[in-house]
Amino acid sequence: MTDVLFLSREQLAALVADLVAADTIVIGPARAGGPAIPGLEDRQQGVAKGAFGTLEYREVRSADELELGPGMPRLSLKQFFLPQNEKLFSWQQKGIAVEVQAVPTAFAPRVILGGKPCDVAALGIVDKVMNWDYQDELWNARRAATTIFALSCGVEDQHCFCTSVGVAPDSTKSADGLFTAVDGGFLVETTTDLGREFVDKHRARFAEPPGGAVEAGTAFRAAALAKVRENFSFNTERVHDWVENHFEDPFWATLGVRCNGCGACTMVCPTCHCFDIVDEEEGVGCGSRRRCWDTCQASKFTAHASGHNPRGDQIARYRQRVNHKFAIYPTKFGEVLCTGCGRCVRTCQMGQNIGEILVAIDEYAQKDTQ
Amino acid sequence: MKELRDLARQLLTDGTVEVVVGWQSSARGARPIFVDKPEEADLLIFDTRCVHNLATYLNPRRKQVTDLGKLALVVKGCDAKAVAGLLREAQLTRDRVVLIGVRCGGVVEEFDAPVPPEISAETIMPRCYGCDNREPHLVDHLLGDALPEPPAPLLSIEKRIEALEAATPEQRWEYWTAQFAKCVRCYACRQVCPLCVCERCVADKSQPQWIETASHTRGNLSWNVTRALHLAGRCVGCGECERFCPAGIPLTLLNRKLQQVVEERYEYRVSDDPEVAAPIGEFRLDDQQEFIK
Repeated sequence: MTDVLFLSREQLAALVADLVAADTIVIGPARAGGPAIPGLEDRQQGVAKGAFGTLEYREVRSADELELGPGMPRLSLKQFFLPQNEKLFSWQQKGIAVEVQAVPTAFAPRVILGGKPCDVAALGIVDKVMNWDYQDELWNARRAATTIFALSCGVEDQHCFCTSVGVAPDSTKSADGLFTAVDGGFLVETTTDLGREFVDKHRARFAEPPGGAVEAGTAFRAAALAKVRENFSFNTERVHDWVENHFEDPFWATLGVRCNGCGACTMVCPTCHCFDIVDEEEGVGCGSRRRCWDTCQASKFTAHASGHNPRGDQIARYRQRVNHKFAIYPTKFGEVLCTGCGRCVRTCQMGQNIGEILVAIDEYAQKDTQ
Repeated sequence: MKELRDLARQLLTDGTVEVVVGWQSSARGARPIFVDKPEEADLLIFDTRCVHNLATYLNPRRKQVTDLGKLALVVKGCDAKAVAGLLREAQLTRDRVVLIGVRCGGVVEEFDAPVPPEISAETIMPRCYGCDNREPHLVDHLLGDALPEPPAPLLSIEKRIEALEAATPEQRWEYWTAQFAKCVRCYACRQVCPLCVCERCVADKSQPQWIETASHTRGNLSWNVTRALHLAGRCVGCGECERFCPAGIPLTLLNRKLQQVVEERYEYRVSDDPEVAAPIGEFRLDDQQEFIK
């Protein structure tokens, strides 16, 4: 373990003010908001779901906006690295010539304070595909510009399963450091040079932990770990092998039939990274090429120009989602494409439950080997 | 519940249908289930958590469901309106489905509960307040006892529309652009809609591109406004689009407002009678057309 420092709530406010004054973009979980109209309470879907849906990751201008406690933002952190829509270049027709304008590939420094460990871990997993046969310049530049402090999680609800997929409520995977909430502030550890440089630069804001704080932090983390392990668990290796060897299996039909192909699960997923590239005209003779999030759950995703669609129905498309996450990606990159955040479960309004599905697959796998 | 299970078992045993689509209780509360074996009929439930509009499974776009053969579908009154919509627009033939109607006293907002919550002002799904079809007509079987009328929610959809209308156009513009800014263009609203029946949606066309794919203000406005207008006079108000929206956009406000406009302009209220033509599907000489100068 690295040296543990303490950042009081007051000093956090001062730290955020310092960062904002220095033109560093500060991103963290904050209450979802927008222009209000008197008498029109913005009834977010899932009001009854407690904290889920009422928070979002966004840029904040002061620490007052940050919600560094329980609650899972509706969308993950991926939007800050792979924006929902991103301009790749613009074009302008000039006579018979076409002028192409590049987009900036340098980004202002950013700090994420309080990313969920599962959301932060996802970035390192997606790094692999973004640097496989092609180095994604925009993804990498945004990653390089961002220092990330995760926040030890107290475990959201019964749909969390990070420990089954190699993450933990206090994981520092892909993080430069970790905050753990204790009385009056946060314990802060750093895990990378980037994290250490950040703390060194703002050293005046940090102090030695008060008496008992380290013990309280350790207890909080141990309790969270025990809590998430109580939910359910499965073995990713067994799941991988079963999925890889059961491309044709009646099990898939029992899942896909319920699915509407809405793709909301892929949108809220911290690791789903598929995109579509479109050319959009923005006037006569000018426009932009953009990449936008896409989803394997849409029939258009695999529709061929010939009219043929290799994934012709939702059963094939749902199988693809499980397959990509738990067989294809680990085979190719050595890690499952899932961090156990449970968002797809909370989001699916037809009650599809990836946890239940993976537990079932694990049971089938164990029966197969008996 | 017993009569529902008995009926489902009988329909499956005597081969009337291949599958009964209804609800089951799961670790995620109530959710849709496809029962194809008589011995599994006992998994079926109907309670206040059964919010889902199962009529969406009759949409011809659901190939995985149309492949199953003849279905029996459990419908609440609101769901029956959507079935009527599909029949009205020739997207479904009546002989493809056996409709099992259930009398409804309203559902709750949150289906993900281990036991069915009591209906109250706090728990009620706002769209259930003032429902005019708690006993579906378009059914082959009607089950359950008549239930009391659901209470008013803490804040009704109408009250929210009034609040919106009391605001200035600038405030409304600011409100909706901020709401649509949240849109990630997953098209979940379209996918789940029982009446979004187009084989190829206008949003999926790229040559020409009518609606931009990118989630900037322009693209998001054109998508959300187009969706709402394509459903005007067709939307049954089941609220599934809003429930499915991963971004939490209050789509019900748009849909309900358009329902009000259609009612006012065309004296049309969506029902579960497929014989009554929707304004968009019929021309009448007495249609108001004072906008033609």
